[in-house]
Amino acid sequence: MTKAKLINFLIGKSILETVLVATIVVGFYITAFPPYFHGWGEATSSAIAGWAVNDNAPWDRVTVQLFIDGRFVATQQASFSRPDVAKAGWSKDEWHGYQFTLPTLSVGPHEARVYALHESGGGTRQTLQQLGDPIRFTTDTTGNNIDLSKTPTSHR
Amino acid sequence: MSDKQPQSDPAIGARTLAIAEIISVSLSCLIAEWVFLSFLSRYRWLVIVPLLLAVSFMVLSHKAYRESLHDLGFRSDNFLSALRLLVVPTLIAVVIIFLVGWYLTGPPSVPRLLRPRLLLLPAWALFQQYALQGYINRRAQTALGTGGKSILLVATVFAILHLPNPVLAALTLFGGLIWAAIYQREANLFALAASHTVASISLAMALPLNVINGLRVGFKYFG
Repeated sequence: MTKAKLINFLIGKSILETVLVATIVVGFYITAFPPYFHGWGEATSSAIAGWAVNDNAPWDRVTVQLFIDGRFVATQQASFSRPDVAKAGWSKDEWHGYQFTLPTLSVGPHEARVYALHESGGGTRQTLQQLGDPIRFTTDTTGNNIDLSKTPTSHR
Repeated sequence: MSDKQPQSDPAIGARTLAIAEIISVSLSCLIAEWVFLSFLSRYRWLVIVPLLLAVSFMVLSHKAYRESLHDLGFRSDNFLSALRLLVVPTLIAVVIIFLVGWYLTGPPSVPRLLRPRLLLLPAWALFQQYALQGYINRRAQTALGTGGKSILLVATVFAILHLPNPVLAALTLFGGLIWAAIYQREANLFALAASHTVASISLAMALPLNVINGLRVGFKYFG
């Protein structure tokens, strides 16, 4: 073994490690954040409502979590009837709706984000993927909410 | 103007290669800790891949440098003289660890003393000392010479490998300085492994798990 050969081995080792790390990182990303989840949400007068579908398991119900102004509010299974979603071809059946009743919020603008909860690594890891765009709404003095971003075109 | 062709200094080439070797082996360990053990939950055993790459590289490097096991410190002739150098700093470290542990949680409990995993510690300590001193310290001396700079480099590498655990990083920086300095005086890996084992057992026994976070390093430190 000469030092020239050692340098070649050093370069080979570096390339191999780079490939290994890249493979693991890409594999991990796809496992933890799979591109299967689609959904949409809106603010109604007293709730955040929408739907969520896992394209990889279209008959399964997706667990969704609501965050308002960056703070966790609630979690539920998206299993309410949404025949419009199935009719539009986004799901195989109609049972993919969710509806979070909103807590008392301060008067003024707020932002809601709904996330699909995904488990991987045999249940040891949980990740959140945002469904659709952030839902901007404002709460008036009577406690009613008005959606400021009601453009039902944004799907993910 | 000189018409001589510029020639590369072989010493510079040797120093560059030694530094590249230290970086490469350290990166293999960091990849094992931060990538393989963290992201491959079901296939964690694949951690053997970067470790085997690193060990293979170290073995080839020893051949290229024509280093024998005796040169590396796998020897018995200077065991007692190395041990003599290690006794005082090791005892001081053990006393400090136990005093801090006693102050934080009281006397060490018997169940923690009897953890079977501790039986593997001498072999693990010998392997760590071989990598740290028998390889990295020797290459650090090639790059920076014997003395303070190379000792500091060895200790820094040892501490970086224990990040982001702040307690372990600080302790390994301190331990790395002492062990690297003593290796440069008396290269004996068995004596260093004995000191390492005693210090590690003291740490596991005396300090509360929440302080050392279960001796976790890499991404596992966070949960």
